[in-house]
Amino acid sequence: MSLSFDPAAVRARPSTETVAALVGTLARDYGERAVTSHAIREQHSHGEGLADPALPDVVVYPQSNEEVAAVVRLCNAARVPVVAFGVGTSLEGHVAALYGGVCVDLSQMNRVLEVNADDLDCRVQAGVTREQLNAELKGTGLFFPIDPGANATLGGMTATRASGTNAVRYGTMRENVLGLTVVTAEGNIVRTGGRARKSSAGYDLTRLYVGNEGTLGIITEVQVRLYGIPESIVAAVCQFPDLGSATRTVITAMQLGIPVARIELLDDVQMDACIRYSKLEGYAARPTLFFEFHGTESATREQADLMQQIASEHGGSAFQWASAAEERSKLWKARHNAYYAALALKPGVQAFATDACVPISRLADCLLETRADVEREGMTAPIVGHVGDGNFHLVLLFDPHDPADRARAEAIAQRVSERAIRMGGTCTGEHGIGVHKLDALVREHGDAVDLMRRIKRALDPHNILNPGKTVPLTRG
Amino acid sequence: MTADVVAEWQDRIRAAAAARTPLAIVGGGTKAFYGNPTAGELLDTRACAGIVDYEPTELVLVARAGTPLAEIEQRLADAGQMLAFEPPHFGPGATLGGVVAAGLSGPRRPWGGAVRDLVLGLSVVDGHGTLLRFGGRVMKNVAGFDATRLMVGALGTLGVITEVALKCLPVPRCDATRAFECGADAAIQMTNDWSARGLPLSATCYWRGTLAVRLSGAEPAVVQAMRTLGGTSVDNATSFWASVREQTHDFFADGARTGDALWRLSVGATSPHAGLGGEQLIEWGGALRWLWQPSSIDAATVRQRAAQAHGHATLFRGSDAVRVAHGTFAPLPAPLHAIHERLKATFDPARILNRDRLYAGL
Repeated sequence: MSLSFDPAAVRARPSTETVAALVGTLARDYGERAVTSHAIREQHSHGEGLADPALPDVVVYPQSNEEVAAVVRLCNAARVPVVAFGVGTSLEGHVAALYGGVCVDLSQMNRVLEVNADDLDCRVQAGVTREQLNAELKGTGLFFPIDPGANATLGGMTATRASGTNAVRYGTMRENVLGLTVVTAEGNIVRTGGRARKSSAGYDLTRLYVGNEGTLGIITEVQVRLYGIPESIVAAVCQFPDLGSATRTVITAMQLGIPVARIELLDDVQMDACIRYSKLEGYAARPTLFFEFHGTESATREQADLMQQIASEHGGSAFQWASAAEERSKLWKARHNAYYAALALKPGVQAFATDACVPISRLADCLLETRADVEREGMTAPIVGHVGDGNFHLVLLFDPHDPADRARAEAIAQRVSERAIRMGGTCTGEHGIGVHKLDALVREHGDAVDLMRRIKRALDPHNILNPGKTVPLTRG
Repeated sequence: MTADVVAEWQDRIRAAAAARTPLAIVGGGTKAFYGNPTAGELLDTRACAGIVDYEPTELVLVARAGTPLAEIEQRLADAGQMLAFEPPHFGPGATLGGVVAAGLSGPRRPWGGAVRDLVLGLSVVDGHGTLLRFGGRVMKNVAGFDATRLMVGALGTLGVITEVALKCLPVPRCDATRAFECGADAAIQMTNDWSARGLPLSATCYWRGTLAVRLSGAEPAVVQAMRTLGGTSVDNATSFWASVREQTHDFFADGARTGDALWRLSVGATSPHAGLGGEQLIEWGGALRWLWQPSSIDAATVRQRAAQAHGHATLFRGSDAVRVAHGTFAPLPAPLHAIHERLKATFDPARILNRDRLYAGL
């Protein structure tokens, strides 16, 4: 993707001598926890998106806040880039070491530090994964709801302001992080927020670091909200004659304030892929909504009945229910495997996903225009959407051996971003900017990008923290 | 016309920055008591008023900063919607800009979200005189740094808010308030248990042996929760919750007559009642405690007690002299204070916007 600025203008690779000296110091201080093998560096050179890999010079595995701070202090003094890494599930090239330097892998900082069951919160080290946290919460009656699909670390989810299928009910990382421990560019360890619901006095630094993509500081501990496991969980599937009737159903439900935990849209192409890939039986390849309701027995029943009524009024089919845990998990597994199901539509293809989010009243327009664009270009691109939030992903399949095919896919993706911005939305609802959406950020935010740039310069004057990401530092 | 007003503010801010003239940003002035005293030429935000866009199906309202909060709430109520964070007015002239700048939320906050959770985007003029637009009109937006949230609670020290996009929610179809006679710690324990069990709580208030709990939601859920909770019914529940939200409740009114200072303690929800320094009015399931203390009390002691309860203490209401002496907000650790100074320098290098109001020198 072409960029309208040159990151190298503000950040060059450090000299070989500088890097060699730093690697020597890290090897001395961290022994086997400072790794320079090609295999490990390669593993830390990319996330799960399409990023062209960029290898760090060394990967360090700190075990404490103090060790992270010490590494960052060395990098700051030597002006060497430092990139934080969780498990590498980000999608927009966030972890690629564009200018080499040090990758700080937080996977050995994976302790749940405290669970305050009465206060409904917990504090974890950044390397704790979402599934690990929920496993450790077993027996407390509590759970951490945010579910982006991948088994990401809490640190990574915080740094990218992740959300997922049940954000419509529980919010995103933005609403659920209560406080943080962050290592600043100078290597200071600071604590923001805390256990109190209202964040600490002063500016809301917690929210500034949530979604900073490792460019303003390295998050080492996260305090998050927990929720009681609902007494009753009911899932249902409803199929529609067209995209418009499915989205109108969602709009009506949101307006009535039905507290649905998840509403996921799969278009006909995606439904076809999922039926084949996940062996779903009894469904047609038509636009489909997956619902999940959380609450007491009576509340979920009432919500589901009301939802069925609304769907029927908009031409939806009778609900197919899944109340047993196994049925539900089969359904959501099919949803989470949508990406792999899409890939299986055309053997040998690669794919990447757009991430537009629009005001819900424009969702149908945005989906239909996008669908027409895809058809005009003769591409295959299923749509899945967290439609309760107006957020959808177009999964663009392309032939990796055909540059023209990839160019067509990228052009469609760019038009999706532009369309969303034009409709009052954003180019990215949950995946982030990373390296791929820098241009779109400028289109979306205009003058405010200048301010973001100034914030970056104020908090990381030597541009050592994940350089080349999130905010373009110079404009061409 | 409004574009003219904003352009005029931009010119004024540029001139003030060049001359290093402090500006005091004021809307309805209903929250002037909150924060440290600030001096400067008046910049009245009420000239920039009016609801710009409200589409009920969208659950989003966009209004200019000087729009009266009452006007916004009326418009929402007409469409069966509300601001779920129940912002306090603290007077008849409260404006939307003031609500966002103060960042104060009302009784529904732990369950309905805080101001910062429901502000989707905003426009501000920063201390350079530049008009900036952050965020947008959608709930999920991860495009760049979250500058929107930085403005919430910044008390106008980073920029003059000109326009705000808010998420609105449907008014719950059913409300019920139940009362319980109990001790403070029992009240805290019960409300946290109920909250963890997913009961549809929407407000709690404990004072002098009585716990009031509001339930909101669909009728069957509220009715079932009432059966689970028990308790007794409460007369005039609507005006009771309004008195808590607006601080006209006896606890606040009686204390105000004594000349004492009102402290707002934001603490871990289950912190014991004892040890915080006296009789409290307890909201948010225990997470928010209001406490009157003599103006002569050592502020450091109050703050230390709050810190031991995993929180912090704000000198919410007090004379100018008391606020100047102790500072409204708990002092920040040095590295955090340094970050605040850098952010202030980024937005307002001449330090002309509401100088000192958040922290002395900022």
